[in-house]
Amino acid sequence: MLDVVIIYLVSMASQIIREWAGIQQFPAATQSKLLELLGKLKQENVSTLTILVMGKGGVGKSSTVNSIIGERAVAVSAFQSETPRPVMVSRSRAGFTLNVIDTPGLVEGGYVNNQALDLIKKFLLNKTIDVLLYVDRLDAYRVDNLDKQIVKAITDSFGKEIWRRGIVVLTHAQLSPPDGLTYDEFTSRRSEALLKIVRMAARIRKQEIQAASIPVVLVENSGRCNKNESDEKILPSGTAWIPNLVQTITDAVLSGSKGILVDQKLIEGPNPNNRGKVLIPVILAFQYFFVVKRIQKWIKNDIARESRPSWS
Amino acid sequence: MASIAAPGHAISVNRSHRRLNSTTTVTSATIKSKLPTFSSSQNPKPYNSNIFASKTLHNVIKNSTAVTVGLYALSSGVSHVLLNGNGGGGFGGSGGGGGGGDGDGFWSRIFSPAAIAGEEESSEWDSHGLPANIVVQLNKLSGFKKYKVSDILFFDRRRRSTVGTEDSFFEMLSLRPGGVYTKAQLQKELETLATSGMFEKVDLDAKTNPDGTVGVTISFLESTWQSADKFRCINVGLMPQSKLIEMDADMTEKEKLEYFRSQEKDYRRRIERSRPCLLPVSVQREILLMLKEHGAVSARLLQKIRDKVQQWYHYNGYACAQVVNFGNLNTKEVVCEVVEGDITQMVIQFQDKLGNVCEGNTQYPVVRREMPKQLRQGQVFNIEAGKQALRNINSLALFSNIEVNPRPDEKNEGGIIVEIKLKELEQKSAEVSTEWSIVPGRGGRPTLASIQPGGTVSFEHRNLHGLNRSVLGSVTTSNFLNPQDDLAFKLEYVHPYLDGVCNSRNRTLRASCFNSRKLSPVFTGGPGVDEVPPIWVDRAGLKANITENFTRQSKFTYGLVMEEITTRDESSHISARGQRVLPSGGISVDGPPTTLSETGIDRMAFLQANITRDNTKFVNGTIVGERNVFQLDQGLGVGSKFPFFNRHQLTMTRFVQLKQVEEGAGKAPPPVLILHGHYGGCVGDLPSYDAFTLGGPYSVRGYNMGEIGAARNIVELAVELRIPVRNTHVYAFVEHGSDLGTSKDVKGNPTEVYRRMGHGSSYGAGVKLGLVRAEYAVDHNSGTGAIFFRFGERF
Repeated sequence: MLDVVIIYLVSMASQIIREWAGIQQFPAATQSKLLELLGKLKQENVSTLTILVMGKGGVGKSSTVNSIIGERAVAVSAFQSETPRPVMVSRSRAGFTLNVIDTPGLVEGGYVNNQALDLIKKFLLNKTIDVLLYVDRLDAYRVDNLDKQIVKAITDSFGKEIWRRGIVVLTHAQLSPPDGLTYDEFTSRRSEALLKIVRMAARIRKQEIQAASIPVVLVENSGRCNKNESDEKILPSGTAWIPNLVQTITDAVLSGSKGILVDQKLIEGPNPNNRGKVLIPVILAFQYFFVVKRIQKWIKNDIARESRPSWS
Repeated sequence: MASIAAPGHAISVNRSHRRLNSTTTVTSATIKSKLPTFSSSQNPKPYNSNIFASKTLHNVIKNSTAVTVGLYALSSGVSHVLLNGNGGGGFGGSGGGGGGGDGDGFWSRIFSPAAIAGEEESSEWDSHGLPANIVVQLNKLSGFKKYKVSDILFFDRRRRSTVGTEDSFFEMLSLRPGGVYTKAQLQKELETLATSGMFEKVDLDAKTNPDGTVGVTISFLESTWQSADKFRCINVGLMPQSKLIEMDADMTEKEKLEYFRSQEKDYRRRIERSRPCLLPVSVQREILLMLKEHGAVSARLLQKIRDKVQQWYHYNGYACAQVVNFGNLNTKEVVCEVVEGDITQMVIQFQDKLGNVCEGNTQYPVVRREMPKQLRQGQVFNIEAGKQALRNINSLALFSNIEVNPRPDEKNEGGIIVEIKLKELEQKSAEVSTEWSIVPGRGGRPTLASIQPGGTVSFEHRNLHGLNRSVLGSVTTSNFLNPQDDLAFKLEYVHPYLDGVCNSRNRTLRASCFNSRKLSPVFTGGPGVDEVPPIWVDRAGLKANITENFTRQSKFTYGLVMEEITTRDESSHISARGQRVLPSGGISVDGPPTTLSETGIDRMAFLQANITRDNTKFVNGTIVGERNVFQLDQGLGVGSKFPFFNRHQLTMTRFVQLKQVEEGAGKAPPPVLILHGHYGGCVGDLPSYDAFTLGGPYSVRGYNMGEIGAARNIVELAVELRIPVRNTHVYAFVEHGSDLGTSKDVKGNPTEVYRRMGHGSSYGAGVKLGLVRAEYAVDHNSGTGAIFFRFGERF
């Protein structure tokens, strides 16, 4: 119970929408690009944008959130989880509200942390998710079953529709690729491997792949990130990644699909206790006439067939 | 007069005082078969009208003036035979008086000679006082001396040879080598032989031995009749004995002829009136073969036939059946008259503790309905039916001692009265048993606080109104000082014969009020999961159901259950949700909900039905057959959160006998293949305590209870092969259980929360050691095996 109370307190507190001051921190080029994108959204009558950030623990979810907001909105620490429960950071600018929801890591002890997922679901109750950022590291070389489990858990929780608004974010993008591979080759192979898993776990069928391609964005949150001449953080490929990320988010929002409204029904799924309840009288009748009666007939046959002892 | 004490087969059961609520009821059932005692006295007159005393099993009256009536007693003692000539004229043996040594008529008389021997044997004997190696005729022996008989020889005059000791004639003799007899006894013996009708002529000589003893030689001429080529067996039980008109000694030849003719006619009528007997054609044919082989019908052949016929009857349980007479001798047909032992009456008798007849509390129909049909009036008494009756009555659990006793009917010759003697158990009983529990505390020493007085108080009131209704109750606690901690109670009322005690429909009403506490297998961890904090499921409620028994094993039960279910954690606090241990070591209480109401307490009412079809039987100690069980819980929408559900389970088990084997005690049991399938499903509201769990000794072996998962629908499949080895069996099995993907349909998905697979297989092998099964099972999910010891059967 205590947990729940705290969650409410936290969510109440974060409801206080602050002015998006962090946007001033961005380099001028980034600022102008962001404002352009916000203007584009406003044109389409989108005045609120809610971004859900999910992924394994320690992949840089909180850092990404901070990078988007442009200030240290959520605590980050290098060696331990600083996000025990979901946090929503809301900022507004010129009548536009940006909500970014940071969540705790979904993995615990080698399994999907259902408890964390439950917390997230409860937190998201009655909110609309416009974009899901599924965060993983670019410098992780392999994908394994656990990744699949996480994607599956997200799909099971929010439905496969959420992947229409899903973006795969790969952090720690500033790396030197392993020998014999160029940076572009490495990133495309890594993102393809991850996307494959996501598609599989999100149950996106082959014919749907084209229609619902999930974009991949590379991110480097580190302060040592290379910068270009206009002081924007850039990837080894030369793209400024913050405008790129916001661009992708905007594209996803404007792609025509709908945001996911998280309601009670979505959290709990269909109540299995109610399924087929109407059919119970029919089932009962079936059981009486086709099971009980059948067994009674067998018993009758048994009695008729019972071998009499020699003396009777 | 020969009198034979009732050779009754008393069957009885002793039941030790039954303990209430004890599953291991100590019941000792003994089936006694008393050996008959014989007492016989010499028949002084050759012409006798009533040869059986009132106590005899069968009274067979033969009245004849011109015949000798003889009686054989067999070593088994149950049967006596009366050989009968074809109605007069002829005379058997020397006792017949009226000539006709070639005997065209023959009445024989059978004695039981056994009694003479024992009582008069004494260690002192007199030397014969004669020169050695001379043959002395019987009447030349001294009447005052006690002779010691060194050996006995039978000398067949016709064949001019002695017969071996295995010959049936030896059975008739009461003399034993080494015995001491007076002259009078020897004469009596000779008379017995002479009047037996087996011999045309018989003599007894003594040969003196040097050591003062005598050797006895019995030389005889066996009676024979003309050969026969037909055999007929008739049941003469309950038939009035043919009354024979005294034959006047001074009848003229014509009168005699007329007399014989009328007798012959009477006999024919008797045969016609007699009922067909149970002896199967195959045995009759065998006997006919014997007759044909032997040619002439001799006394010994008749003895053999008698033995054969009686052997068949006794082997098939007709313990009271006897060959009483052979008629129609010296014609083409041998007629074997059998008294089969028809039941004329069934008497139920109650006895008090001292064995006196008293008025019982139990109503007669209660006992009578347990009687097999074969014990009813007009049936032939069969010992197996008697045993069956005994078992049936014993299963009533009302009597401490049961005896089923066939008794000869004095008013009805050849009839049997089945007497059932019952000693009733005490109607009311109460029992208190106590126990102390001491638990070693820290450091291995028990603390004072851990010493708890526990125990059971129970009472039982049986056989209300004499209709086997009963009320029983018991209270068990492990701590009388704090009984609210752990109190198990049960109060039950049982009302059998719901449709009336005389109605053949067997329905029993049971109403009970109960509680129980069980560890929920739903809240169990999967492989590699640290201990999951246990959840106890307490149930308390009322139950009323009606059980209809179709056969001993197949039954249909239906009724209503109203119960309150409380889920508690280890420390007995009500818990609404399952707990789990976090990796940090903490415990979180946000697991799956334990109850439907999510408060930890559910109340519900539902209908329960269970139909069991079981035609399994034991073949040499191994179970063979088929068992199907369908169980249904139908929620009524009454209770917390209006639970409405249909929870059903179907179990099918087949025990396939792989080889035909001969049945009988000590024979090897057949190898058996067991196919087992179990389906469980639920539509509607499903609280976690009603979810189906997979894994455990009665689900999928090799796993712990609930280790595979807890689901809405499950299926279990098992195959086991049992091979008999010596007097036990070894077995190998493969089992599989699956949640059919319905684990997620249980609220809170306990299968996933506790990291279970939801499906699993196992295989293994084991050996049965008495009641214990020792088995090695490999669980397929983790690939590891372990040895398990289990009590009881899996299927």
